Amino acid sequence: MLIALDDVSKQYPNGTEALRDIDLRIDAGEFVFIVGSSGAGKSTLNRLLIREELPSSGSVVIDGTDVVRMKRSQVPFLRRKIGVVFQDFKLLPNKTVAENVAFALIVTDHPARAVREETERALALVNLTQRRTHFPRELSGGEQQRTAIARALVNRPRILIADEPTGNLDPVTTWEIIKLLIRVRELGTTLLISTHNAEIVNALRQRVLHLDHGAIVRDERQGRYAA
Amino acid sequence: MRRIGYVVAAAWQGFWRNPVMSVASTLTVAVMLLLFAFFVMTDRGLQAAVGVLESKVELVVYLEDDAKPTDVLELRRRIENDPAVEAVAYISKEQALERLKEIARRRPELALEDVTTNPLPNSLEVKLASAQETRRVSGMLREEVGKGVIYDLVDNPTVVDKLLTITRVLSIGGLAVLGMMLFVALFVIVNTIRIAVHARRDEIEIMKLVGATDWFVRWPFIVEGMLVGVFGAIVALAAIAAVAGPVASSLVGFLDIVPVSLGPNFIAQLAAGLIGFALLVGGAGATFSVRTHLAK
Repeated sequence: MLIALDDVSKQYPNGTEALRDIDLRIDAGEFVFIVGSSGAGKSTLNRLLIREELPSSGSVVIDGTDVVRMKRSQVPFLRRKIGVVFQDFKLLPNKTVAENVAFALIVTDHPARAVREETERALALVNLTQRRTHFPRELSGGEQQRTAIARALVNRPRILIADEPTGNLDPVTTWEIIKLLIRVRELGTTLLISTHNAEIVNALRQRVLHLDHGAIVRDERQGRYAA
Repeated sequence: MRRIGYVVAAAWQGFWRNPVMSVASTLTVAVMLLLFAFFVMTDRGLQAAVGVLESKVELVVYLEDDAKPTDVLELRRRIENDPAVEAVAYISKEQALERLKEIARRRPELALEDVTTNPLPNSLEVKLASAQETRRVSGMLREEVGKGVIYDLVDNPTVVDKLLTITRVLSIGGLAVLGMMLFVALFVIVNTIRIAVHARRDEIEIMKLVGATDWFVRWPFIVEGMLVGVFGAIVALAAIAAVAGPVASSLVGFLDIVPVSLGPNFIAQLAAGLIGFALLVGGAGATFSVRTHLAK
């Protein structure tokens, strides 16, 4: 069991109930789509996993570690097990593609040689070796998202969380990114993808978690976007 | 090592990312350090001046011509036994006259050839170890004036008294001004680092996301604060070096009287003190700023 949530609820100080009584098990190597309307709790779930938020009640265990009770000083090491990709890429504009990817290794204190080698490996995986010296503004949306995926994977995390990874991309580029994510999964990384894209979910027929008003209303092995 | 390299490089970049703010805070620190150095040097000069004047503090006890030698000896013994007294010398009438004649020889306007009788009294010259005690000792002796042994008493502690007062006022006033400058410098550094944190908020977000430790995130800002301090110290030391020559030459007369040593030893100590103080202020201000603005 890689991810285990038991009885997890999350209320924000303003009274919003973002998650209610979530029980969830995800095994290593799974491909999971998280669907639901905006405000259903997808982002809150993602934030609990990387401990950007703490649950109001319940337990979150990732790779055998109790995320709720872990010391603050241990949080960075949890995050090195989890890569995160966003709809808006969050690349640093004044760094090149290679520098953006290497940044994740440098600030987690890897030796220079490892930074070089792992950066090249990640760039090759997302097929951006040729673009390594370009700046984000010189890239297409798809290339920017591939850079972000390379950065998320360069630490060799066990889990990749993608929050609307194709939300800003055209249909062709969207498929390009999805194919890349499928390859990432084949290499052994567990994928959690939050999306509004019904076409992709219906085409891939992977596990689907449907959140509605903070509760899991549907959890299907080979699910579709809508029931 | 690579960690230190990363931190220093990031701090250096951060310093130049917002040069106007960085230079402004550097100059604020420099002004604070200049004030600090000024007070240190002034205090040192005044202490030296007090020391010199203290070493010259003497009470002169004039003795009655017909005082009994045993009474004089007894008085001398009593004075010598006072802990505030360093030495007592007996100057006879004849010695006193000799001294006067010696002075007269160098100053032709005084003619002492006519002197046939010696009008000068025997006296005790009392050298005190500490200027603060002058009043007490002279008060004690003054009570005995006219009682057969002591004919008169001369003391002149007012100069030392005034100097001690000036030193005290300067120390307190200096500390107050320095305290205010310190507050201003800290305030400016805290804000400089706050702006630096703000300028790099995207980078910080990514760092936290990919699992950089808190210290990896914080150290560049703390080192940036220290850079502000060190640059401030360098500016202050350069300013001191630039004015040291002219000021010293204008003080030559004063420096002859008062043995203020501004030798290489003192300069080295002052430089080390300023840089150390600057590092502390810069580091502390930045740490406070980072703790406040990077919480979470």
